[in-house]
Amino acid sequence: MPNLGQLALAIALILALYSIAANIYGARRNATDVIVSARHAIWAMTAMVAIAAVSLWVGLLSSDFSLEYVASYSSTTLPTIYKITSLWGGQQGSLLLWTLLLSTFASIVAFQNRRRNPEIAPYALAVMAIVAVFFLGMLNFVTRPFDLLAVRPVEGSDLNPLLQNYWMAIHPPSLYTGYVSTTVPFAFAAAALITGKLDETWIRTTRRWAIFSWFFLTLGNMFGARWAYEVLGWGGYWAWDPVENAAFMPWLVMTAYLHSVMIQERKDMLKVWNLALIGLAFFLTLFGTFITRSGVISSVHSFTQSGLGPYFLTFLISVALVYTGGLLYRVPDLRSPAEFESYLSREAAFLFNNLLLVGIAFAVFWGTIFPVLSEAVRGVKITVGPPFFNRVNGPLALGLVFLMGVGPLIAWRRMTVKNLAYHFAAPAIIGITTGLVLFGIEVTQWYVLTAVSLVAFVAGTIAVEFRRGVTARRHMVHETTPRALINLVSKNNRRYGGYIIHVGVIMAFIGIVGSSFFRVEVKKSVKPGESFAVGPYLLHFQTLTPTNTPHLESATAEVQVTRNGRPVAAMYPAKLFYKKPQQPATQVAIRSTPLYDLYVVLAGIDEQSGMVTFQVFLTPLVFWLWAGGLVMVLGTVIVMWPNVRERVAIAEALSRGREELAAQPVPRGE
Amino acid sequence: MTRLATSIRAIAACVALALFFASPAFAKATVDDVSQGLTCQCGCGLTVANCNMPTCGFSVPLRSEIAGMIDKGMDRPAIIAIYRTKFGEKILSAPTAEGFNLLAWVMPFFALFVGGGFIVLMLGRWRHETPSLPSGSEAVAERIPIIDPKLREKLQTEVKGQL
Repeated sequence: MPNLGQLALAIALILALYSIAANIYGARRNATDVIVSARHAIWAMTAMVAIAAVSLWVGLLSSDFSLEYVASYSSTTLPTIYKITSLWGGQQGSLLLWTLLLSTFASIVAFQNRRRNPEIAPYALAVMAIVAVFFLGMLNFVTRPFDLLAVRPVEGSDLNPLLQNYWMAIHPPSLYTGYVSTTVPFAFAAAALITGKLDETWIRTTRRWAIFSWFFLTLGNMFGARWAYEVLGWGGYWAWDPVENAAFMPWLVMTAYLHSVMIQERKDMLKVWNLALIGLAFFLTLFGTFITRSGVISSVHSFTQSGLGPYFLTFLISVALVYTGGLLYRVPDLRSPAEFESYLSREAAFLFNNLLLVGIAFAVFWGTIFPVLSEAVRGVKITVGPPFFNRVNGPLALGLVFLMGVGPLIAWRRMTVKNLAYHFAAPAIIGITTGLVLFGIEVTQWYVLTAVSLVAFVAGTIAVEFRRGVTARRHMVHETTPRALINLVSKNNRRYGGYIIHVGVIMAFIGIVGSSFFRVEVKKSVKPGESFAVGPYLLHFQTLTPTNTPHLESATAEVQVTRNGRPVAAMYPAKLFYKKPQQPATQVAIRSTPLYDLYVVLAGIDEQSGMVTFQVFLTPLVFWLWAGGLVMVLGTVIVMWPNVRERVAIAEALSRGREELAAQPVPRGE
Repeated sequence: MTRLATSIRAIAACVALALFFASPAFAKATVDDVSQGLTCQCGCGLTVANCNMPTCGFSVPLRSEIAGMIDKGMDRPAIIAIYRTKFGEKILSAPTAEGFNLLAWVMPFFALFVGGGFIVLMLGRWRHETPSLPSGSEAVAERIPIIDPKLREKLQTEVKGQL
């Protein structure tokens, strides 16, 4: 199997190289057969990479410790699910997963475009193949997943205990899917630059891919935050670690892109900006991988470090230079007649929204690389941690939330002050009233007051927009309110799905603000049978149960929780000790309600005195962060849902166009 | 000269903003406030406040020390300064707002100012280039062709069909 895997990777590399050459040659010479052959090469490459991935999985599942990778990231006692997830637990395997996803997406793109976009699709596939060549080159020559050990060990080193969690099965594949799928819009953007076909074809072709990518980046970030919340045991979910930042930056840029692309679709403006944004998003996904792999910036997430840094850096710089060069070369062709009338317009709101999103991305980037810069310039190693990111990004986030409220209600082209007052009066009153009520109940932190007032304002604008649509439908087609609401969303899924995403964002924002400003922490050492209070809850420590398996030792505490004398939950926080590698870990117990999360950590056990130390966090509103994530997912699904009516309308228009063309008399001489 | 003055004002505003956000305003030091300002050196990558290793040889004794210093009446900057002297700048969880480190705080705001200024300039130019739709009803009527009533009716029927 190891030989088969490595052979498959070698063949995949050859196929990727052939695909580049054949796609470019076929497109330049208009040789359909060659383009078809290039497409087949992409599919064959995907099959080869899949064979390699399956080979590695077989090695992991059969504990074939002759493979260095298996010996490093697995063991005989590792549960089967983690043997499967070990594929992306180490350097080589995660690059293999990246390549598998990339080649799969390239195959889908090849299939989707077998009869469409004959001018740019071959170049887009060539670009995707170039990216695949880089990763396959790494897997063939630099960091080989099928390297064999000279002496086969009896047992493996096992997977890092922090990665032995069910989120390991969900979070990395989601995030990688988000990362890798940015390659598709990037490849089409690059193809547009190469061919000079700079109209909205590349945007239209990749619109769903861009949303798909954003969807998985959202999921990846949310899952990562939830994983940190459940596993790291400090009661938080986001520490502004470089690797977290690396996942957050492409999400910000893709969010900016999905907004600004609407201006191009509607007004044929911002062509350069959209091309720049998609290039930046792709660059940042590579940057994220560079950070994780290179060890240049120390991170708690750097489970796998290697000498890949220089290769990634070279690729990163090459991509940035070539793409920027192409973009600059095409700038004269990208100019379009600008139509802009007023600062009080949706165009302006979207542009400022882009400024803030990219501004936050820049602040995160800057904070992430600043320690490297400081060491290079001053020779002093510094840390840029949560206080920096919170203080810089906090105010910018407020601006973004404000614009999220303004965007949906403000008109395209321009809005008069009278109209502005008419549309925004109700949401503004809702926002101000919320602020006053909060102040009345002695919430005095300016940030909290502003944030919650703005959230109420945004909720108000979204409600106004839905009300307006429902009322219109009720009047025009005489529907009941629920029917009108369903039809409003289903027939305008892009627009109203977007508003639902906004609802998810403000829910998540409320969760972030509540959990950041009002968290209570209690640390208490108690004996079995003793109790202690945390906020409205009383925690009764009952027993401590030890367990011993070949894989780990654990001690689980049973804590009964009561509120006003009534039992509300039984919680089981545990302390784990993994035998290979010998490493302790924490299993937190969480009781989640919309108002508070009760988060119990078994912090320490004193065997001599029998005392057990609990660290308990009472975190308000964090529930809404996760609920907001789910709503964002729901909204994105609605946005991506195929709109049959739209497709039929497009098909009819195309058909009419063809008929009209056919009906036209053919000029003589042709 | 005006442009220079505007640029100087913009940079000054960036620095002021950066200094404002760089300086945390806490009324009274608590263990959490102080330890949020320090990075744990055990390798967890978290702040001293957030390190959750129960037997951490760094954050656990540090939190006790900080509690003792607060009890003695020391404020946040004084406590942080002690640890900075002892461990160097790497222990601070955010760059200081001085010297080269000031750049860390200024750059994000400076970039925003530059970006915002660029957008305002671009929008101003585009607005200048765009023929504005006159607001007077007669002028509007001149530019919008009158729709044939039959066509209007057909249009309305089709729109209703699409709804």
